[in-house]
Amino acid sequence: MTGRIEQLEDTIEAALKAGLGLSTLLLLAGLLLGAAGPLRWGILLLMFTPVVRVAVVTVGLALERDWLFTLVSLFVLCVLALGIWVAVHR
Amino acid sequence: MLIYILTGGLTGVVGAMLGIGGGVFLVPLLTLALHVPIRAAVAASLLSVIATATASSTVNLDRGLVNMRLAIALEVATSIGGLGGGLAAAWFTTQQLFLTFGATLATMGALMMLRSKRRNVIADTSVDPGRLGGRLQEDATTYVYRVKRLPLALSASLVAGAVSGLLGIGGGTIKVPVLNTFCGVPIRVAAATSAFMIGVTAAASVFIYYARGYVDLPVAAAVALGALPGSVAGAHLAQRMEARALKILMAVVLLLVGGRMAVEAL
Repeated sequence: MTGRIEQLEDTIEAALKAGLGLSTLLLLAGLLLGAAGPLRWGILLLMFTPVVRVAVVTVGLALERDWLFTLVSLFVLCVLALGIWVAVHR
Repeated sequence: MLIYILTGGLTGVVGAMLGIGGGVFLVPLLTLALHVPIRAAVAASLLSVIATATASSTVNLDRGLVNMRLAIALEVATSIGGLGGGLAAAWFTTQQLFLTFGATLATMGALMMLRSKRRNVIADTSVDPGRLGGRLQEDATTYVYRVKRLPLALSASLVAGAVSGLLGIGGGTIKVPVLNTFCGVPIRVAAATSAFMIGVTAAASVFIYYARGYVDLPVAAAVALGALPGSVAGAHLAQRMEARALKILMAVVLLLVGGRMAVEAL
């Protein structure tokens, strides 16, 4: 059980690092070149990083068959999705 | 632009050390000192909270400081609180909010200062930490801690989420002291777990700010870029500090921020 949690933590860490690395590059490029495109994508990528993190946790817990916490995490994902839905359809 | 990067960096250091987003410093700094409009400041602050949460979590996960099950359980409360806070914003005046929030923070700060010598950890590793508790490695010793008063932790997270939705600041200033002072969670774990959660709390509302056009791209980018290295440094720095020193720093921050908010309301 503990080993699997550590494995999940490693996967989360990798996802967070990937999101951060890519958005840092885009933000830096945008600021240095004064270009709005990379800035916009860098910000959007940063905004989506926590959402992806919750998705990774949900899938990881499901693979572990920890159904109670999978359900709890899925609920959090739904709240985030609701926030995005409101933003898009306002 | 450099001043925004520096501002983001400084709030990132303190935010990551204490598991708070840093919005409590960033919003007033951006609005009062740098004359950024309030909504753009809140949007930049939410993005900086996400940057702080993400960057410090990469350090804290590596060290086994994040209590994931506790974080997931409390995220439910903060996300509902966030939505509720947004809806309830119309019922209160800013003055009432500032006064209540400021008084709460100052009280928590005083309590933390008084109880800074108490430790939450048990050195006996045969003790069962329970489903939500955990273990913590400090130097050569492994400690065990149990989570007490879960309903209180959930209520505090609900309030923290609501405050985040109402005032646009992270809820770490409420969660960390409550988890540490009343719920038996060691200060490092409380800070790391809170830092892990605040990105999600901020993500619940940041898309709405973005869609409304409140994100000033260069300002938000500069602040976030500063917050990234700042929070990695903060997470490393927290590891080197004594638990008691961290608690006292948190108490001082709470007293200062709480006092400032209460004064602003009067």
